[in-house]
Amino acid sequence: MRTLVLGLGNPILSDDGVGIRVVEAVAEAADEGADVQVETACVGGLRLMEQMIGWDRVILVDAMVSGEEPGTVRVTDPETFPTFHSSCSHDTSLREALELGRSTGMHLPSPQHLRCVAVEAADVHTFSERCTPEVESAIPRAVERVLGLLAVTEGEHATA
Amino acid sequence: MARISIDPITRLEGHGKIDIFLTDEGAVENAYLQIPELRGFERFCVDRPAEDMPNLTSRICGVCPEAHHICASKALDDLFGVDPPPAAKKLRELFYSIFFVTDHTTHFYALGGPDFVMGPDAPKAERNILGVIQKVGMEIAGKVLKMRKDGHDLIKLMGGRPVHPNWGLPGGVSRGITEEMRAEIEARGREAVEFGLFGLQLFNDIVLENSDYVDLIVSEGYTHRTYNMGTVDEQDRVNFYDGKIRVTAPDGTEHAKYDPRDYQEYIAEHVEPWSYLKFPYLKEVGWEGFIDGMDSGVYKATPLSRLNAAEGMATPKAQEAYEKMYETLGGKPVDHTLATHWARLVELLYSAERWVELAADEEITSDTFRVLPTETPAEGIGSVEAPRGTLTHHYRTDERGILTSVNLIVGTTNNYAAINMSIADAARAVIEPGEEVTEGLLNMVEMAFRAYDPCFGCATHTLPGQMPLEVRLRDRKGDVLERLERNL
Repeated sequence: MRTLVLGLGNPILSDDGVGIRVVEAVAEAADEGADVQVETACVGGLRLMEQMIGWDRVILVDAMVSGEEPGTVRVTDPETFPTFHSSCSHDTSLREALELGRSTGMHLPSPQHLRCVAVEAADVHTFSERCTPEVESAIPRAVERVLGLLAVTEGEHATA
Repeated sequence: MARISIDPITRLEGHGKIDIFLTDEGAVENAYLQIPELRGFERFCVDRPAEDMPNLTSRICGVCPEAHHICASKALDDLFGVDPPPAAKKLRELFYSIFFVTDHTTHFYALGGPDFVMGPDAPKAERNILGVIQKVGMEIAGKVLKMRKDGHDLIKLMGGRPVHPNWGLPGGVSRGITEEMRAEIEARGREAVEFGLFGLQLFNDIVLENSDYVDLIVSEGYTHRTYNMGTVDEQDRVNFYDGKIRVTAPDGTEHAKYDPRDYQEYIAEHVEPWSYLKFPYLKEVGWEGFIDGMDSGVYKATPLSRLNAAEGMATPKAQEAYEKMYETLGGKPVDHTLATHWARLVELLYSAERWVELAADEEITSDTFRVLPTETPAEGIGSVEAPRGTLTHHYRTDERGILTSVNLIVGTTNNYAAINMSIADAARAVIEPGEEVTEGLLNMVEMAFRAYDPCFGCATHTLPGQMPLEVRLRDRKGDVLERLERNL
């Protein structure tokens, strides 16, 4: 099963860059090879869907703003999560984009093979290349969650 | 004065909130769209090397990083007093043409097009690219995705990196193209021209053949007679990469034509007391408020404006499409906001033709794609046409090239006043005093500003594709009387 670990975010917008920080650490810890690749992106909607073409499984990592305690890490299903940091006013929502891609026969991960490790952000407004302390301290936990998802074997994957 | 707010839900202050103010009688007084400003980003850039700007500014937006990248490169040319060799300019313009086709494709089919192709009365669940495909066929989906993929692949090929190019330098670009790359680029360009023609035919069949849509396009509620701005070449034809900035008046005559370096002599900023927003306007004409006409300094910089501000297109098929548009809509200038979508398709075709022209140019594979700067930097201004309007980067540095100040005017900034006017007028046309305000009415207002494809700042966390909205009805004191919401 070919897996893409994709860190999302804008690296100059404080906590918005946490996805990129997490996957940089994942890249060091994980065994990259033909089956697993780690990349970063700063896109949403159609562009994000297009990045996923050709992969069997995708693990996104991104900042989230949902009212939780900053630094909270959780695994979400991007296709059902209501306000996902993957959309843009010039673009479609991720859900629409995935539907479009699948309907045109693109090879995309099935819904149960698409997950997002989301880190609750404290600040996504301020221009800064650093995360806030709460989010910074969440990075190792997020890395663990990603590595945990990667370790799940193909047969067990549907329940991850 | 009561107030209806269309308020996209986001916890981020300043992103795309619309307030509609009503008089005590319930008629629309005015409307205002809050768009985030870039002062925070401009401050962030200070004390950094100016040479970082092509990479830094491409982070402002995940949708048009190429526009910022190329504009920044031009600002650096000016800052370091260096003129890139002809091949460098052609390479940059080729890259830019590819980007324009890709971006306009996305806008028309995924964002603006759905409003049009599905119609404003279509249920919102269908007013998206999936609805468009349902209506016009699965074939479109394949074409759109292929166009985007080809465009993105070539941008990465030339620019060195997907999404955020790593290419522009003061004095040129960091690498050229081989004959093999050139042939690939030209082949994709010819396909892009076909795709451009296809889009215009589609527009003709779906929109122009439908009298209800045509009535909507030309309706007064969606019409604004303002000044128009765009960049033109030496023959006053549309050019996205370089030229002079030309402004035409509501009566179609030329008001001004200037070197982008002189923008501050022609454009001033008006500040509204109720917000931090600044509204650019034409200095010589003056600020008369949010009104149309020859005496009001309000101007627009949109695809339609660019066509209005020029005397034609520089490529043959686009020129035909340009002539057909003006013939159909009654001559120049065209002031119907919704015709912006048509203008976008004309521009798409032009960009594709220009792409082929430049790819076939004998200088395009030249090894001379950079000259080294030797001057001491102090101040630099660069300008391009971004898909959303004229984009200007203005840098000041110390003698080492470290930034001391940055001023960015993005495409949408030019259109602030006009966007508010379009929203107010659309609201006026559909909101009746005393009648209940329903969601359907608000769709019309949203359509009015969506034609401008306004930029909401950073693409990574703006609005989900379905534009969640909150409406707040307020009394004169600002207290909330009523609240409508959708997609929260």
